[in-house]
Amino acid sequence: MKYKQHIFLFIAILIATISTGQEKDQGNSIGLLTSQTEFEVGSTVLLQFSSAEAVTPLLYCSNSYGSTVITPVLEETTLNYEIPDFIANKSGLVHWKLIHNNPTSGSFVMSPQQHVATMETYIGPPTIEAGDIDYTMLVVIPTDALDNPMPEGTPVMVHHRFLDTQTEEEIETKKIISYKNISSRRKSGRLFIAAECLETHSTEYTVDVLPAIPTDFTISVDRPHEYADGNQITSFYTSILRDAHANIVSDGTFVTFFIRNKAGNVLKASGTTVQGIATAKMIHPDQEEQWTVQAYVDGMAESNTISIAYQQVVENVEIAFAKANREIQVGPLKSFMNQMIPDGFQVVLEVYKDNVLLETYTKTSRKGYVSFSLEEAIFKNDTYTFTIKTAGLEKNLPNIKLW
Amino acid sequence: MKGSTNKYLLIALLVGLAFHGTSIFFTLETTYDALIHLFFADHYANSWFEPWNYKWYTGFTVTSYPPLVHQSIGILSLIGGLKFGLFTVALLSIVLFITGVYRFSLLITANRTVAGYAAILAVFSSSFVETLHIFGQLPSIIGISILMHALPEIYLWLKTGKYRYLFTSLSLIAVTVTSHHVTPIFGMVFFIFPLIGMAIMDVSREQVSSIKEITFNVFLRSFLKLFKRIVGFGMSSLVIIIGCILPYWINSKNNPITQVPIPHGSRDNFLEITSSGLVFFLIPWGILLILLPYIYYRYYSKRYVFFGLSMTILFVLGTGGTTPIPRMVLGETAFNILTLDRFTLWGSIMSLPLFGEFVYRFSEGDLKQRIQSKFGGVYHRIIGGILAGLFIFMTVFTMSLGYFRPSQPQKIKMLPIVNFLNQDDHDKWRFLTLGFGDQMAWLSAQTNALSVDGNYHSARRLPELTTRPIERLENSKYKGVAGIGSLQQFLTTPEKYNLKYIFSNDKFYDPVLYFCGWQRLRQLENGIMVWERLNVKPIPAILPKDEIPKWQKILWGVIPFLTVIIAFMLNIQILWIRMLKTNLKTPPVYLAFKNTYASFSKNLLRVTHIWSIALAILVFYGIYLFYIKNDAQRSPENAIVAYYDALDFKEFEKAYALIDTKNNLSIAQYMLEISVTDGLLSSYAKLDNIHTIITRNSDSLVTAKVITDWITPLEKIHKEEYRTVIKRNGKWLLQHYDLDTDIPPDQLYASNTSRYFNQGRRRVTTEQTHHEDVLKQPVLEVLSAKLVQYDTHYAIVGEVQNLESVPADIVLKGTLYNDANKELATYNAKHHVKHKLMPKEVSSFRIDFEGIAWSKTKDSIPKAFNPDEFTPIEFEEQPTKFNLQVAGNVSGSDLYKEASLSAISIDSKTITGSVFNSGIEEITVPQLLITYYDKDKTLLWVDHLFIKEGIRQQRQQTFRYPLLKEASMRVVNDSMENIFVNGLPNEGISNKIVPDRIQNHTDAQLQKIEHPDYEYIKIEINSYIGNPN
Repeated sequence: MKYKQHIFLFIAILIATISTGQEKDQGNSIGLLTSQTEFEVGSTVLLQFSSAEAVTPLLYCSNSYGSTVITPVLEETTLNYEIPDFIANKSGLVHWKLIHNNPTSGSFVMSPQQHVATMETYIGPPTIEAGDIDYTMLVVIPTDALDNPMPEGTPVMVHHRFLDTQTEEEIETKKIISYKNISSRRKSGRLFIAAECLETHSTEYTVDVLPAIPTDFTISVDRPHEYADGNQITSFYTSILRDAHANIVSDGTFVTFFIRNKAGNVLKASGTTVQGIATAKMIHPDQEEQWTVQAYVDGMAESNTISIAYQQVVENVEIAFAKANREIQVGPLKSFMNQMIPDGFQVVLEVYKDNVLLETYTKTSRKGYVSFSLEEAIFKNDTYTFTIKTAGLEKNLPNIKLW
Repeated sequence: MKGSTNKYLLIALLVGLAFHGTSIFFTLETTYDALIHLFFADHYANSWFEPWNYKWYTGFTVTSYPPLVHQSIGILSLIGGLKFGLFTVALLSIVLFITGVYRFSLLITANRTVAGYAAILAVFSSSFVETLHIFGQLPSIIGISILMHALPEIYLWLKTGKYRYLFTSLSLIAVTVTSHHVTPIFGMVFFIFPLIGMAIMDVSREQVSSIKEITFNVFLRSFLKLFKRIVGFGMSSLVIIIGCILPYWINSKNNPITQVPIPHGSRDNFLEITSSGLVFFLIPWGILLILLPYIYYRYYSKRYVFFGLSMTILFVLGTGGTTPIPRMVLGETAFNILTLDRFTLWGSIMSLPLFGEFVYRFSEGDLKQRIQSKFGGVYHRIIGGILAGLFIFMTVFTMSLGYFRPSQPQKIKMLPIVNFLNQDDHDKWRFLTLGFGDQMAWLSAQTNALSVDGNYHSARRLPELTTRPIERLENSKYKGVAGIGSLQQFLTTPEKYNLKYIFSNDKFYDPVLYFCGWQRLRQLENGIMVWERLNVKPIPAILPKDEIPKWQKILWGVIPFLTVIIAFMLNIQILWIRMLKTNLKTPPVYLAFKNTYASFSKNLLRVTHIWSIALAILVFYGIYLFYIKNDAQRSPENAIVAYYDALDFKEFEKAYALIDTKNNLSIAQYMLEISVTDGLLSSYAKLDNIHTIITRNSDSLVTAKVITDWITPLEKIHKEEYRTVIKRNGKWLLQHYDLDTDIPPDQLYASNTSRYFNQGRRRVTTEQTHHEDVLKQPVLEVLSAKLVQYDTHYAIVGEVQNLESVPADIVLKGTLYNDANKELATYNAKHHVKHKLMPKEVSSFRIDFEGIAWSKTKDSIPKAFNPDEFTPIEFEEQPTKFNLQVAGNVSGSDLYKEASLSAISIDSKTITGSVFNSGIEEITVPQLLITYYDKDKTLLWVDHLFIKEGIRQQRQQTFRYPLLKEASMRVVNDSMENIFVNGLPNEGISNKIVPDRIQNHTDAQLQKIEHPDYEYIKIEINSYIGNPN
């Protein structure tokens, strides 16, 4: 209760004070003397008012960066208000208002200096795709020494060079910035871009026009011989991959080669392009094969289909037993000129007992031979059935007795 | 206090300082704990009053450990650096320990010579050597030392009731508690209670004429007489213990240790795990084991009976998991939190006075006379020699343990890492070290950069860590799969922790880093490999912290040193003033209770002899067992185990010695064959378990089925193979495997590939992002993505393509929502994607949603688990929608694509085939990504296979992949609506760059399979190159 009374009393006194102040100042008039309404930034801005009496009202002053009140300097009957730097250095509209019982208000414009000191230039993205769709955007913001943007409509020259053609174009600043969308070209290459404004030049900017997605291509094959020796390497090559505008696709473009073999299974090799040509390598099969090969750039391009045949080299599998039939020697495995097959040719031995597969051994040849030895600890003395598989051939050796 | 300087004490101090003072410079830095204390000290040196530390575990509070030792090192570091502080405090601890043992022994034995002997023995006692030089537990040593200093004061207070002694004893208790919290709590039970008992006993003794006349009644009366003093001391020390480190107790209450217990060797069964038995039982007890009968005999005499009880409990508790008693006594929780080696340490320290007494009696007392009269002088000298020899042997053995079995990796030069972190704002991200051991603490002390890991496991806060029984991510490979599993979570979602850099000192982790999407940056000049992960945001400028009240901070910063100052004034100052002013020497009252050492008990001597002989037999039997077990060629089992162990530790010469060389296998050929095998199994696996079944046992030839389990950074490998073992000249030897004889066709060949280099900052400037140098994020397209449920397991599967002209590193982040758009889970793609894509390359992907493993049911942690084990997140609600965020970043590394699928054959259960390496790098770990499609060629699932062996250039490697088991498979949502690439909608990208995409382009080339659930598969190959040329 008492608290409320205090507030009431306080408000009453406040109103009384304000009203007495008003009464006292009534009748005084202050007029603006300065007629200039536009100033260049960085210059001294002085607002002068005539004052009949020796009152020094404050000047409220505001621009888009903030507001302040200014205390005048009274010289005889003139009130001098000097606008502080933080307002006078920024271009734009400045509103002022005299804090006085007869409020006077007005505004003036700070205009930027007519000389470009710096040019903020941005360009992006730095790489675009060749063709008619993609573009990059150049943004130039010319500013004066006090970092004020140039006035609207200040011309900015944009130069750009692509291959042998150099062009220039004038754009104008609008709402602080000037910008230009630079369309991609159909050819791949490098765009050099520079900007100029009021005799000030930007540095060099570059944008790379990269090839677009590849189009269909052809593939070819190269191999040392046509035999299925499981040793030599066949290489697959693409023709030069180009995009729709005949640009060679970027280095590193991934090409997958699908190889469908005689059994209908899919083998796979891949290569990345260098100067448009992708190479993939595949080891020769170890048995007669008919491969159908097609290459893809997934979702974008594909090649023709080629087929290649490999001829069987190992025609016959000879098997010899030793050491209580526990040592099985396979060979000689001979190649196309009756030479011993290169080392590493795979031979598989399967051991069955009562049609149940007990063990599978895989070994590789050395000097044309492979030998398996059956441990007594694993295979007890008994009769077993062996199957030897190599080069797509299968040899069944039923009921071999081990002792 | 002393009439004349005790020359034994002086010798003990001089020898102790010379011996330990010089050796700490070679041992302390490689101990388990010293560097951790150094890290804490660095914290105090930099922010004395702010207990929050950001450097470890995404922030923790140092009020979780008593501060005195750390603050002392911190203060001293301002003079001469952290290590100066560390060594100074270590020297101080040596002095405190020796003098502490002296005072404690004097209190117990009331004989200066005996106490002097005890002090000398303390210098070389194996438990002290181990605690200082192997464990580096400075706070623990200082704590127990000060406690020993406090014991005479406590005794005097109880006995005389002079308040001066109450204050001195309390001041020392305060110092103890501020240096180590566990010491005064258990010290209360194990040292002070028996001491109280002894004081009562002495008071009783004064009331009767001989010790035998002390009956229970007399004892009770004395107890009642001293009751006020006991309670007074007890209460005030309780206040001191709580008050001096109050913030510690508050923190313990607010952040109770709710983590999965971390296995500690001191809880092992020492008979089963003999290494733990050695470190936590044999070494600390050392020669005291021989004297146990004497120690027990003396401590169970009437005056010391409470010490006898305490000794017994300490001894039993120190046996860890060997007997079930410690677990029963302590209870399950305390048993799993406490490290039980401290009980053994205290027990051995408690024995020191009597050890001194024994040695005194043996060398110049009644025992000497008895032995000489009974067995002759020569026998006495021989026994003396043997005891002294054993004692010194134990000391030397303990000291050398750190040399022969280093607990830490080789000392790492930290400067290159510190420099790296300081360069180029690298400390704006968190880092992780791998294979640094406790040296990571030293790195953290030297840099301002923050780590996700840490070395003080009680302070861990992230559930990813507290739910795993691992101390650090850092040494996760030693923690089996729990460790690797925890590490994998951090590696897969590093952006959650702002983790960008990994310093790897251990090649073991390389494959998991690669397959989680990390790339090698460069090798620093100290040999440490730096790995980085792209697309990780820097640490925010403001990090969260747990604020504690200002009064706590002040208390924490002020009290510890205050306790030291007060203790110093009370104990030393008063002593000096008294001596200078009055020159009065009243001996302390406990010196009145002297022992005569007149005649050594005959029976005791006999028992000691029998005991020693029994012990000797036990030791020799143990050595014999050890020999039998470790003689590699005694039995085929031994030979196989030794061979695999040798391979595991890469001791190829040792392995060669176990190989049958009858078929002219030279060591050069053997080594060559080893050197050309690479791959997950031979280069990155650690043998976890080996089991042999001898299938047939002839006299000289055996075939053994060897079943091995290997832990690799990626998955657990189970292997069964047959080895033939032959006995030649009484030695079992393994037969060597046949080598793959494959010979590649080309001697020299060329391969053309594009290589990439990113300049980074072209201008040498610290400006953060010079916009001209910023590369465009590669545009990716998600070709398909769907949320599927396989069994109980939700995953997002699909395909992603790099549309850009440059290679891209891709990060896929999936989030699941329910119908009400509530976020349920978020995770990144781990192994199931090729993280690096060449231009236009496609990769299948699968994002699993892993929960924090075992966070729900702590008791169900499997005993042996598997790195590949997957803990599906437990969804409270059904996920029905998903959001997929794909981010691309230009990357020029790990772009090896020259692996071909060269053969394939399929049956209803498995796919077998081979992979051919046509390029010029050796593939260390080949990975197959197998994508499953239904009959409409709709992608349903993505699986993977790591091929265990590497593939050398122009060679093939076979693989065998078991097809997915039949299980319910359901597509929950296949809407492509919420898929974003680099923050932009996927669809827009698709329309802009590939408007005329050939849909399902390679569908015609899918491999048909016979499977009830799936019709087609696609196989992709991802290769990890361990050693790029």
